[in-house]
Amino acid sequence: MSALLRANIGFLLRHPWQLALSLLGVGIGVAVIVAIDLANASAKQSFLLSMDAISGAATHQLIGGPAGIDEQFYVTLRVEHGLQGIAPVVEGSVSVGEHELQVLGIDPLAERQLRDFTHQVDAVATSGANRNLFRDLLSVPGAVLMSASTANLLQLQPGDHFELLAGGRRFPAHLLGTFKADSAAGLDNLISTDIATAQEWLQRPGRLSRIDVRLDPDDPATLQQLQQWLPADTRLLSAAGRTRSTAEMSAAFMINLHAMSLLALLVGVFLIYNAVSFSVLQRRPLIGVLRALGVTRGQILALILAEATIIGLLATVCGLFAGAWLGEQLLQLVTRSINDFYYRVAVTEVAIQVSTLAKGAAAGFGATLLAALLPALEAASYPPRLTLARSTLEQQARRLVPLLAAGGVGAMLAAGAVVLLSQRSLGAGIAAVLLLVLGFALCIPLLVQRSSALLAPLAARLGGVWARLALAGIGANLSRTGVATVALAVAVSASVGVSVMVHSFRGSVDRWLLQTLQADIYLGVRGGGLAPQLIEEIAGLDAVEAISSSRRVRLETERGQLQIQVLDMAPGSYAGTVLLDADPAAVWADFEQQDMLLVSEPFAWRQQLAAGDRLRLPTAAGEMAFRVAATYQSYRVDAGTVLMSRATYSRHFDDPLIDSIGLYLRANSDPQLITEKLQAISGGRQQLLINSNQAIRTQSLQVFDRTFIITDILYWLALGVAVIGIFSALLALQLERAREFGVLRALGMTPAQLGRMISLQSASIGLLAGLAALPLGLVMAYVLIEVINRRAFGWHIQFSLAPQLLLSALALALLAALLAGLYPAWRAARSQPATAMREE
Amino acid sequence: MREKSVLSGYRILCAGLLAMTLSLTAATGLSETPLRTLQAAPGDDQDQLRGEASASQAPMPRSQLSTLLSSPIDAGFAKADQPRTFRFPEDHGPHPQFRNEWWYLTGNLDSDAGDRFGFELTIFRFALTPATPQSLSAWRSNQLYIAHFAITDAVRQQFYVAERYSRGALGLAGAQSAPFRVWIDDWQIAARQDAARQTDTSSDSRELWQLRARDEHFSLDLSLSAEKAPVLNGVDGLSQKSAAAGNASYYYSITRWQTGGQLRIGARHYNVSGLSWLDREWSSSALGDEQQGWDWFALQLTDGSELMLYNLRRTDGSRDSHSAGTWIGADGRSQHLTAEQFSIDVNRHWTSPAGGTYPAGWHIRVPRQQLSLRIAPVIDGQELFTTVRYWEGAVDVTGSRGGIGVAGRGYVELTGYAE
Amino acid sequence: MTSTFANSIRLRNLTREFREGQRLRRVLDHISADIAAGESVAIRGRSGSGKSTLLNLVGAIDAADNGEICVAGMELSGLPERQRTLFRRRHIGFVYQAFNLLPTLNVGDNIRLVLELNGVAARSANLRVKELLAAVGLADRASSLPDQLSGGEQQRVAIARALSHRPAVLLADEPTGNLDDDSAKIVLELLQSLRQTTGTTLLIATHSERISSFCDRALELEQGRLRPVASSEPASP
Repeated sequence: MSALLRANIGFLLRHPWQLALSLLGVGIGVAVIVAIDLANASAKQSFLLSMDAISGAATHQLIGGPAGIDEQFYVTLRVEHGLQGIAPVVEGSVSVGEHELQVLGIDPLAERQLRDFTHQVDAVATSGANRNLFRDLLSVPGAVLMSASTANLLQLQPGDHFELLAGGRRFPAHLLGTFKADSAAGLDNLISTDIATAQEWLQRPGRLSRIDVRLDPDDPATLQQLQQWLPADTRLLSAAGRTRSTAEMSAAFMINLHAMSLLALLVGVFLIYNAVSFSVLQRRPLIGVLRALGVTRGQILALILAEATIIGLLATVCGLFAGAWLGEQLLQLVTRSINDFYYRVAVTEVAIQVSTLAKGAAAGFGATLLAALLPALEAASYPPRLTLARSTLEQQARRLVPLLAAGGVGAMLAAGAVVLLSQRSLGAGIAAVLLLVLGFALCIPLLVQRSSALLAPLAARLGGVWARLALAGIGANLSRTGVATVALAVAVSASVGVSVMVHSFRGSVDRWLLQTLQADIYLGVRGGGLAPQLIEEIAGLDAVEAISSSRRVRLETERGQLQIQVLDMAPGSYAGTVLLDADPAAVWADFEQQDMLLVSEPFAWRQQLAAGDRLRLPTAAGEMAFRVAATYQSYRVDAGTVLMSRATYSRHFDDPLIDSIGLYLRANSDPQLITEKLQAISGGRQQLLINSNQAIRTQSLQVFDRTFIITDILYWLALGVAVIGIFSALLALQLERAREFGVLRALGMTPAQLGRMISLQSASIGLLAGLAALPLGLVMAYVLIEVINRRAFGWHIQFSLAPQLLLSALALALLAALLAGLYPAWRAARSQPATAMREE
Repeated sequence: MREKSVLSGYRILCAGLLAMTLSLTAATGLSETPLRTLQAAPGDDQDQLRGEASASQAPMPRSQLSTLLSSPIDAGFAKADQPRTFRFPEDHGPHPQFRNEWWYLTGNLDSDAGDRFGFELTIFRFALTPATPQSLSAWRSNQLYIAHFAITDAVRQQFYVAERYSRGALGLAGAQSAPFRVWIDDWQIAARQDAARQTDTSSDSRELWQLRARDEHFSLDLSLSAEKAPVLNGVDGLSQKSAAAGNASYYYSITRWQTGGQLRIGARHYNVSGLSWLDREWSSSALGDEQQGWDWFALQLTDGSELMLYNLRRTDGSRDSHSAGTWIGADGRSQHLTAEQFSIDVNRHWTSPAGGTYPAGWHIRVPRQQLSLRIAPVIDGQELFTTVRYWEGAVDVTGSRGGIGVAGRGYVELTGYAE
Repeated sequence: MTSTFANSIRLRNLTREFREGQRLRRVLDHISADIAAGESVAIRGRSGSGKSTLLNLVGAIDAADNGEICVAGMELSGLPERQRTLFRRRHIGFVYQAFNLLPTLNVGDNIRLVLELNGVAARSANLRVKELLAAVGLADRASSLPDQLSGGEQQRVAIARALSHRPAVLLADEPTGNLDDDSAKIVLELLQSLRQTTGTTLLIATHSERISSFCDRALELEQGRLRPVASSEPASP
């Protein structure tokens, strides 16, 4: 090791605080990036994995109408057409206790032909006594298999009997065996059972959910032939394509999360820059001496970059580990949101992908080097002198400030241009947000400088010279304070932006819920249809004035998977659907009689549909074009939702099931009493989910709030990063200005006064950052609402501003800065006046 | 790692199920059948599935057998413990109250151009439970069907095998007697649609059947016309398999069918004709503990007679005294042969490339009929690598009866040889 | 604020030791001295002889290990830190070799800060700042930042700051060490004249002969002992 390197390492080791801060800064930045990426990738990965596991080696899937495929079609394919490599699937959801699970009904005998099963046979752990699993699976009603982790979740052992709820009915089930954990990837939250059992549970006699098909890619003739055999409402889809289209549903959600992680990265980069440049600046005297001793500029540059590399490496490694841990925590939240909104996914392990780690490492490493480059270049430019006036350094910074601001204004203009020029691209929208933040961030040093110059005399008048000293110090040490302020401002503005957006969003959703939930009581069953007789009895109750009914089905169409909501409206129901682009009276008049559809706002946005367009759906009699009569307001996030009247649906689809009904009660009837009555009527027949409209509204908002927990967490992380930034900046200032503090102490300033001065400085930084964050945050909220959410989901959200959000952001900035300034203030207060006298 | 887990998920499910199939087939009494090789223990490794390796295809895992035999489920099945009256065509159909049953059709064919072929189409039926389950799902069934389809191409020394599984539900697989049909997917053996008419005009009610089986690489379409009435094996169709009471099956054969039709192998099509043999057996019991396997012979001689023999081999290598046979004269009259009434000497062996040594040449003597026959496989490699591993193939017969030279063809099944 | 005590500084058996590695180094060894109010005294000695230590003790920045030290009538030995700070604020003025003006405060505020610390009302503080800047000849530079001034000018501001609150004792540590001869002369003359108008006792640590000649008398610090030097006596090497 060269003496040069040793000199530096010695320096670092004597300043452990500094080293720790640098490591912490880089580490946290890397961790946040890795964590988000990991959570996203894992959720997606396990979704793909389970899709893979479920579709196996199938190349295609046959998907039928809303009621599925007639099982006799499968028999025809096999017996009449002699088609091999096909397997029937009946799937649906059931619940065991509070756990919702997917049930997958298969024909084990057909599976054999479809999948490559020459694999570990010993993967089934059984309860020793019973070795005839296969026979039991086929012949014992309720016999199931599941992954060991699912069994753990349900606290079941092979051999156990348990009860499950399907379509509101109770069924006995029997766990025959479990798949070994390492071989059951993708099978979590999944109950595998014989197709007969699945049909019994899901009350779906005669119907298949789909038929998995394995076709030889070199045999297009069979594919063509198969196409000709298909019934009118059945479609042949490639398995990969179907997986993709399902996965795409959550793309917008994932992109939003990525945007948040980029924001965290941005703040993290500030922090890294701060940490590295601080450690370089503090070594100015050392570097001066080295230069005087004849060390070249190149050597100084190499030295500092080498050091940054080492720090970057160490911190990145730590960050990667921390990120993996953090990712696991975030994963649960991400998964829950996806489960709430998009599709069922169970993630039991974090999928650590090389790309994720590479991204994190590149960010940590790149940012460290980049952040170190500027200070390194500057340090290399030091004249070979023992000391350098701090003012020279600050003069350089001061010269840079207007240039930065100019660049910032340019970036913000560019952000505006990007929004205006790109019509629909979500990526462009997010790029615009980042440009906006970056641009504004570049302007902040100028703002800090100007405001500290403006405020210093004011402070002097109010608080005296020490206050002026505090405030002037902010502007005068811009190279330190600027970056810290930017980091805090960006973090706080993100908070303002996101919280204003969420607040507006929540308000819109709440109003929409109020409007939509017109019936007094809603009842339905989980994963199945309501028994028709039960509906009749309920409709006949005295207190019930009218009922509406609903059925949701998914259809595979030319435009991908879409959800159709079939409504049989009560007179009071119409007000629940807000039409955005058509005259309600005209639309409702023909809603039942004509073959028309209503499309949800997000679906219309995504598919670029408007009233008057046509949408082709696969009906029982083949594809048919339906007229889009209007767009309606909806904040559901599922794949496209389309409204159709029950009358229209009955004309074109063979599916009488009803999922849920809404009860409109007569005036003066007691909902509580009715609810009890409903329970009595349905008891022993079907377990109903009975909810008042108020309860549904509350639950919906709970789900909404849960979704944004992730946003909250990211925000707190960014803020944490910013607090550390301020902390290190103030600490740096304090160390650099040790002599100044010594003089102040010698002049008779007490430790308390000195501490107060530093605290005032911190608070002022916080206040400045908070004030700067407000306009940025508001603009960001506007862009999030009007550009990002619109482009991601197609929603129109009404902008609404709660003053307390702004005030709390300001308070938060202030508090964060004060908190960060505590230790530096305490250290400054402890500075010894005697040291000042001994300066050479 | 990742790749592996992506792949593994569902495969494991299926592999697991297959393992269970093994235990099932072993357990449900397949063992009593010619398919005595169905002896894989549950949990044996995958090699067995492919039939390549040599895992223990030793005798039926007795522990399992006894467990099963003593299981309460067993109690509900009908038992072949007394003579019965056979009725046709009713008895061509299924007997679901018995645990296992099969339709075994084998034959030797020649193409127009003189190419020599052999075929086997066997459909097995197993009842998983004695009682027929009730369910709103049509998939719920206690009947399981397995089929083996094999073609021997003697000229090109090729042997082709395919296997199918299905449940006896929804019409995916099944058996019926009126009109007769047994099928799995698009493989079937059935009474010809014109059979009814023919029966009317014909003085005797000889069967007119058709066979159709298609695999990706080879297929067979045959018309079969029975030359003889069904022959009851054993004592009036009750075939005792061991000393234990009830350890027996109902067993009949139609030993000579004029056969003609089309055979396709790959892109080659052949018009074929020849003779076929039907074996029908059902029971609910299994082999005795000490029985190792069997050698089964179905020989059709040029003088119009047929000979069916089976040698039950004991684990100690000796011949089981319940070995038996049937001799059918050209006039259709049959004679039961007990173990003492015939001898089978092996004069050649063949070792399977996958392991296991099979007999591959025999000298059969039936003194009572003054029969002395030498049997040789048309090709050695007629081993089936299906879920279970066994040898079943076309053979040539030469020899003499009462001093007069006879020739013939037939099918031989050998089980319990692959280790 | 002029001191009315006959003896502005009274040292008795003053001892100060520093730990240097394993051993103790006695920098001041039972020093005793009396300096009258208004008197100007040069402390001479080589680098490391303990001049700054002595000034730190007198300025209540440092505390002695042993002995008595009484400055402006206040017994400093045993005084807690906070009391020492308040004492320093009121009775002591400092002039450093490196000027040590606060870089972020302009010239006027640098002076005003001390007045403010002493609780002088803003209005009278302003008058005092003006008066002092005029006295040091920098009346027009009140709003300049320190780094816009030359070294000599900075030291003049430092002197103004040090005397702004009329301290009893002015401590100067090599006040001309960073200055060229001309500036040094101006600074020294300023120091003397201003001090005399306020009657402030002056203690200058220096190794310069020329500076000691400005003072009423000089004391030599050598091996921890203080001994008088005749003003005509040449400076020790």
